[in-house]
Amino acid sequence: MEIVSSLSIIAFAALIHASFQLSVSVLTLLSGHAIGSKTAHGKLLRLTNGFVFGVAVMTLLLLSFISLIFLHSFSGNVPLIAWASACGLLIGLGVAVWSFYYRRETGTSLWLPRGIARYLTERTKATKHSAEAFGLGLSSVIAELLFVAAPLVISALVLIRLESAWQLVGIALYTLVSLLSLLIVNALIGSGHKLSRIQKWREDNKRFLQFAAGSGLLILGFYVYIEKVVTATVYSQGVF
Amino acid sequence: MGQAVDIVKRGGARPTERFSRDKLHASIRAACLSVRSPEGEAETTASNVCDAVIIWLETRPEVTSHDLRRKATDTLETFHPEAAYLYKHHRLVI
Repeated sequence: MEIVSSLSIIAFAALIHASFQLSVSVLTLLSGHAIGSKTAHGKLLRLTNGFVFGVAVMTLLLLSFISLIFLHSFSGNVPLIAWASACGLLIGLGVAVWSFYYRRETGTSLWLPRGIARYLTERTKATKHSAEAFGLGLSSVIAELLFVAAPLVISALVLIRLESAWQLVGIALYTLVSLLSLLIVNALIGSGHKLSRIQKWREDNKRFLQFAAGSGLLILGFYVYIEKVVTATVYSQGVF
Repeated sequence: MGQAVDIVKRGGARPTERFSRDKLHASIRAACLSVRSPEGEAETTASNVCDAVIIWLETRPEVTSHDLRRKATDTLETFHPEAAYLYKHHRLVI
């Protein structure tokens, strides 16, 4: 039951991660430049696959790194204060995502420092090889760290309480689920869908995506707080 | 085109440059190709947009790159709305 519950929390956190849009934006822009410069379909696929692979590797590395830090700090026995802090981070970020994830203008501009956004735009334009696309994938996860930190932290806290084999399953599950939105957009681009329709859908539904991501963070924050903090406190005081 | 037109770049941070039909043509063509238009259609659309923009520029010795982009988008909208959407939102994706 503990394993099912832990993996469910990890999968839900990864789903929230998947709802963040920076990597999807970069992938859309990358394929736009590639198609616009008459890149062959095979090369376009190598570029987009390289990008998705870069995002996957960085997500996997970040989750493993945060888990390792927690494992060394807490030795698998996570104190209540750490759970409470992580829940606070989730709830605070949920409210922040509700308030200002997208900029108040047309398009899908995100609330990111404009320097980082410009850098990613320029790098996307300059990307011609799959190795560069891989690097772009790595950097786009780093650029979004402000938003994906909370789901990564809560997943890492849950992971370190599992047995080693289940930790690997948890890391793989998180990486795979967090890539869902990218994999869908990549499949759409690969199958010849128009970028304008993909981008239009994203723009039309951006407020819903923002609401879903913020609500997901709040729900996860409250759930983990009840399960890990309130329940543990009540049991420790011998109420049940 | 009768006279050279200066394009004032966004925010004035970069130096002013001369209007280049080739540059505009390439950007419109890329927008059309991005929405999977056939190459011939992309070329024709880009030429039509460039012609309309050049007529608009004839009475203006200096325009901002923002105005140039807006005029090109409005013209492209009549020839290829999907390409115009991408052209207009290009800087607003990230």
